[in-house]
Amino acid sequence: MVRPSRIAALLLAAALAGGVTAAAAGDLILTGAKPDRLFVIDAASRSVKSEFRIAGANGQVGTIVPSPDGRIAYVLVNRMESIVGIDLADGHAMFRADLSTPGERVKALFAFTVTPDGKELIAYEVPTKLLPSEYQVEEPRFAVFKTSGGLKAKAVRQYPAQRRLHMLLMRPSGKSFYALGFDLYEYDVQTGKLLGTRGIQKWQLPAHSQPDLLAFWPVTEPSGVFTSPLYSEAQQGAAAAPMTALMSLDVASGALDYRDFEPLSALIFSTVLSPDRKTAYGVYSTLTKVDVEGRKLAARVPLDHTFYSVNVASDGQEIYIGGAMCDVGFYDAASLEKRAMLKLPGCADQSVASLRVIRTH
Amino acid sequence: MSELKPTNRKAELLLEAVAEGHAAEVYAMDTVAGCATTFDPGWEVDPFGGVASLCQPMEADLYGCSDPCWWPAQVPDTMNTYPDWDAGKPSAQNDWRELDAVFPKK
Repeated sequence: MVRPSRIAALLLAAALAGGVTAAAAGDLILTGAKPDRLFVIDAASRSVKSEFRIAGANGQVGTIVPSPDGRIAYVLVNRMESIVGIDLADGHAMFRADLSTPGERVKALFAFTVTPDGKELIAYEVPTKLLPSEYQVEEPRFAVFKTSGGLKAKAVRQYPAQRRLHMLLMRPSGKSFYALGFDLYEYDVQTGKLLGTRGIQKWQLPAHSQPDLLAFWPVTEPSGVFTSPLYSEAQQGAAAAPMTALMSLDVASGALDYRDFEPLSALIFSTVLSPDRKTAYGVYSTLTKVDVEGRKLAARVPLDHTFYSVNVASDGQEIYIGGAMCDVGFYDAASLEKRAMLKLPGCADQSVASLRVIRTH
Repeated sequence: MSELKPTNRKAELLLEAVAEGHAAEVYAMDTVAGCATTFDPGWEVDPFGGVASLCQPMEADLYGCSDPCWWPAQVPDTMNTYPDWDAGKPSAQNDWRELDAVFPKK
């Protein structure tokens, strides 16, 4: 005979092992998959709430930027040549900017952002003139679109951009945005004026080599801080030791921080900072937990396969992992124990699609 | 440039153009994530000189490399040159048998 308290304990264990968790209630996860899919996942029930097809995605779904009100997902598609706004209520496209024109091929290499009022979208454009006998590389630029511009949106402003950018991050004031590339730049939204340049390759870190990062996943929603793993060599006596560090950028205050946390022992593709800003989580072929304040590796567990992108529940209790293949994982933030794996319908690869979280509570 | 010797007519013309100040500045194609600008060793060798830290399995990384044209010598560039390479094959782990080799267009 099993006593009621025992039954309750079993039910709780079952819930923690793979069922519904109250902790993640209200979180919706956005991810994309080939060739044209946008998925809305209910985190609490580990189920696909909506599966939308994006017309004209042309085989690739990449960066996803939710509108500030969480009602629209702006998605980079069409081999990085188009940005489409999908209404998350019914999946219809309410915005589309096709960046290329006849004779000029334009790629927005991963990088675009939306203003806090949701009215403007800024894309990083890399244009190439396709001439009869040669490709002519043109200067990169920012293009600003009105999100009310419909399905044939045209840029209302353009201004010059640095080369080699791969991420834009809007500041909450809406007056400026960050552009991450070989360095961290800040631009005025209205005028395009370059307001400042800091880090990354020019970072003067005592006894460290020039750092290097790979950052394609513009996740700031859990904490208001963008983080990325960063690699450099630290001088230790006569020898140089490769180190893994966490770069963090508070998009509200502008605080930019670098802190080593372990000698390089495992690769990390992307990281996310918990809402309390005390813990960071990183993914690749392992799931890594970083004690941010203690500047040390807290835990690491192997994953079923490589994942590119990571996010965290709005209450900080659960980690979401995705990208690369066709499943989205749910892990306990404290123990790094796997709670559930959701295989996306059709099992199409997410590839480089962003994994974003919007809150409905 | 003094250590480089032209081996054909086009190279001679280039040297002449440089000497006369007529050669346009050479731009790298933009961004670290674009075709032919990424020189990471990595598709075959990980940063530790082995293979244990490559993506696991390799199919997990296949479209992540073809979509942004990460290693165009090893993985077909679906961003520009072979956009249909993965058409109808949305899952690298399930569809890898259908993925063909590619050859330069004549």
